Amino acid sequence: MNCRSEVLEVSLEGRQVDEALLALLHTILLHRSTGKFHYKKEGTYSIGTVGTQDIDCDFIDFTFVRVSSDELDRVIRKAVAEFKDALGNSGSDGMGQISLEFYQKKKSRWPFSDECIPWEVWTIKVNVVNLANEQERQICREKVGEKLGEKVINIVEVINRHEYLPKMPTQSEVDNVFDTSLKDVQPYLYKITYQITDSLGTSVSTTMRRLIKDTLAL
Amino acid sequence: MAHFDTEYQRLEASYSDSPPGEENLLVHVPEGSKSQWHHIENLDLFFQRVYNLHQKNGFTCMLLGEIFELVQLVFVVTFTVFLANCVDYDILFANKLVNHTDSSKVTLPDAFLPVDVCSARIHDNVFVIFILVISGVFWLHRLVKFIYNVCCYWEIRSFYINALKMSMAELPYFTWQEVQARIIEIQKEHQICIHKKELTELDIYHRILRFKNYMVAMVNKSLLPIRFRLPFLGDSVFYTRGLKYNFELIFFWGPGSLFENEWSLKSEYKRGGNRLELADRLSSRILWIGIANLLLCPVILIWQILYAFFSYTEVIKREPGILGARCWSLYGRCYLRHFNELDHELMSRLSKGYKASSKYMNCFMSPLLTVVAKNVAFFAGSILAVLIALTIYDEDVLAVEHVLSSITLLGVCITVCRSFIPDKHMVFCPEQLLKVILAHIHYMPDHWQGNAHRYETRDEFAQLFQYKAVFILEELLSPVITPFILIFCLRRKSLEIIDFFRNFTVEVVGVGDTCSFAQMDVRQHGHPAWMSAGKTEASIYQQAEDGKTELSLMHFAITNPQWQPPRESTHFISQLKEKVHREATGGQQGTAAENHAFTSTHSLQSESEPRSLIANLLAGPPSLASLHLGRDSSIINHLSIGVSEGTSALRSLSPLSTSLHLRGSFPSARLPRPDHPAVAAGRAMAGSGTDARTVSSGSSAWEGQLTSLVLSEYASTEMSIHALYMHEMHKQQSRGELSRHTWHRQESDESSESVHDDVEAIRNLPRSSTFPFATTPSQEGAGLQSSSQRRYGGTTESLCGGPRVQRTARMPMGGWSEEPHTGRHHDPVPEEGSEDELPPHIHKVT
Repeated sequence: MNCRSEVLEVSLEGRQVDEALLALLHTILLHRSTGKFHYKKEGTYSIGTVGTQDIDCDFIDFTFVRVSSDELDRVIRKAVAEFKDALGNSGSDGMGQISLEFYQKKKSRWPFSDECIPWEVWTIKVNVVNLANEQERQICREKVGEKLGEKVINIVEVINRHEYLPKMPTQSEVDNVFDTSLKDVQPYLYKITYQITDSLGTSVSTTMRRLIKDTLAL
Repeated sequence: MAHFDTEYQRLEASYSDSPPGEENLLVHVPEGSKSQWHHIENLDLFFQRVYNLHQKNGFTCMLLGEIFELVQLVFVVTFTVFLANCVDYDILFANKLVNHTDSSKVTLPDAFLPVDVCSARIHDNVFVIFILVISGVFWLHRLVKFIYNVCCYWEIRSFYINALKMSMAELPYFTWQEVQARIIEIQKEHQICIHKKELTELDIYHRILRFKNYMVAMVNKSLLPIRFRLPFLGDSVFYTRGLKYNFELIFFWGPGSLFENEWSLKSEYKRGGNRLELADRLSSRILWIGIANLLLCPVILIWQILYAFFSYTEVIKREPGILGARCWSLYGRCYLRHFNELDHELMSRLSKGYKASSKYMNCFMSPLLTVVAKNVAFFAGSILAVLIALTIYDEDVLAVEHVLSSITLLGVCITVCRSFIPDKHMVFCPEQLLKVILAHIHYMPDHWQGNAHRYETRDEFAQLFQYKAVFILEELLSPVITPFILIFCLRRKSLEIIDFFRNFTVEVVGVGDTCSFAQMDVRQHGHPAWMSAGKTEASIYQQAEDGKTELSLMHFAITNPQWQPPRESTHFISQLKEKVHREATGGQQGTAAENHAFTSTHSLQSESEPRSLIANLLAGPPSLASLHLGRDSSIINHLSIGVSEGTSALRSLSPLSTSLHLRGSFPSARLPRPDHPAVAAGRAMAGSGTDARTVSSGSSAWEGQLTSLVLSEYASTEMSIHALYMHEMHKQQSRGELSRHTWHRQESDESSESVHDDVEAIRNLPRSSTFPFATTPSQEGAGLQSSSQRRYGGTTESLCGGPRVQRTARMPMGGWSEEPHTGRHHDPVPEEGSEDELPPHIHKVT
């Protein structure tokens, strides 16, 4: 509970899913990434530079800005592709949600594993529609572009609010806050998960986990 | 333009200071996470643990207590098995002779069977094995839980020590309010909760009491099947720990419960669309849980019996009077609990009322029983006296068969009889006693007033305040009855339950889903008959019964003087305080109704200090400067001694005004007082409601321990006064209006109507908000106040006509005092709106 959650909703055509999701996820990540930290001996650090890059969409009238890190892009693309596959395979009417969760790790003592405590969750609900003819596609192309523009402004507004962010860590703790696996950029620790509408009800594993937790907390 | 300036300068600086090419253009210093307390994942659990640790007086006490509980469990089981299988009772009862060579004395070890025989007997007995296995599993579960708890509470301990700067040794001497103030203080630097910059007292209470508030509300709206009309016993209440456990299991945390996790209701329950389907699902779940209860019934029953036997036999032997003693029933605790009242607050309140309550119950001795008991006691007493005398003369008498047992039995008999013989010096004054009780328990049905001497009232009070023996009996019966209540009564209510959770759940930012009653919003849940006329916009379904919203609000505001209520509530509180103080000073002639109460309180209960103090105050001796000084001079010295009127002294009792003085930030405290203290006090109180809080919340949050203790003690007295006053007003109002009312009843929900019984229906008769208050001519100030009330009611009425204000009524109120989070919840599913035309709606609070 102790985490902000934001919900975005888009409805679009099947072939636009990729680009729309990339646009939104990259926009969020752009604001949640910093350059690499270079720690000095005396405990201070300097921040490396991050480039940005404009990306034009093929199926949407839209251009977005992303961090110019191919590695990061690859990771996000992979997640989005998986989501799209699942969406296609589900056979349902094309509803699903993908969420980007920023968390921080908390070291705990031996018997317990490290806790991952989310502090911000972005949920993007996707609704895929089928269009009949080219005319509609053309309209949709523009409309989705406009919608995405609104969402991006929305995201920026949320991010501009002065709210909780994990404190800048010392060198030993940097892995608890930032994802340091990438070479050129350093986003906050994040996790991308998705759900297709069919399985929107609580999955078996979460129920089991809750049961065990409940019995312990009795 | 300023923008350009800065940019220009920065460029220049970067050129001069660090030429390009060098790597560290900008050097940062990491803040590091110095504390591990920022951003705690599960705040509900965290606050609950902080509270528990405080209530259990620190880590060591808690640890010891838990360990002993584990040991006790092992002991109970092994001892029972031992008694059943390893003792040769023939030897104990001397039916069989022991062939000892050296002495003829029988020793205890002689009666024990040898180990091999013993274990063989246990092995052969399947039932015993079964019990052993069950209890073994249970014990292991407890052990795992214990270890888990130790780890968790160790963390809380270090939170107390490192973050709150309280050592475990001194923890028992801190009040909860102090602990809470410190938590609020450290939120500013550690950000325990990430949604808000600052926590409020209400947030913490909401989190600790989330589910309890729901239970209180459900009992208040008579949703839970705990009242039954039985063929012979009449109207009775059955609510045991087992039943309560099951309710909580079904609603809150069990598998498939309504709640997704500790803080949020599952989203499908928030929508009205498929309520019927959800109700079906709930009722089948209840059925399964009921069946599980039925299957486990023998195990639980055996456990209950064993547990009761071992925990009560010794006590009953030592002081048999305990069976005749009374205790607050579980139902009573639920019925009497305010919203947002922590366990310790409730218990201290009820304990204060205990003496008066048992006096009240003792008033109703049946004369017939008394005569019989007197005579039985006489005969038993004579036999006992002879036996004791003989024993004293020669103790060999004890060796005669059954002498010891008859002495014990006679003793028990006499104690029981004595409990039926009323105290010789007792006076029958139930009405006054009930007033005193009311001052502590704060709630009572309307029809008790004026009927205190009747048996019906007594019987109903007995539901709240039952015999300990009955309590134990009910607990023993509970495993058998619970499944049937679940299967046959609760299941029928499943639709109402679904509706209840949908209608009365609000989402508060930073807290999660809470019971909307617990917001204590007079406007949403006020009852027009309880002084919130004109302020409330609640339909009958939404009104909390018995003035619970209003009283809870007062209680919370008084116990947490630093809390800053939302605007309407502040208005309500200050208005009420003003009235009470006016009454208190105006009623020196003894005309005001609650003054009667206090003088009587005084005479009845002179042992409780603050009460008699207040009674004195109200009776009007002007010798209060000493008290005033005593409380204030330690903290500030600019208060004039000349202020010795009853009012100002009373004011100084109020924690609010004291906190004012503490900070010295209240201008009128230093101003020369007007000639009419009553008016001044009223005004001052009204002002202080807002001022003190805003000021104090900003300044250092905790004072000396002593002050806070003193404050909390007087707070309870102040609350008593307010409770009495509100009941008095309510009585006058309802009396005045019984003659004239018929109002839109159609607004009520059909589900709510089925719930109320007749008595409640009478009480609930709605009134127009413009209806004038009943004015008693003898009360000075009453006329004035009623007219102002009427005016207020009138204005709101006219405002409410416009759609604009209607919308503000729906406007979220919740995360009070925080900046409005607009656009926080993008309500993503537009079709939700269409589903929501079903009864009220779920308010989204942002």
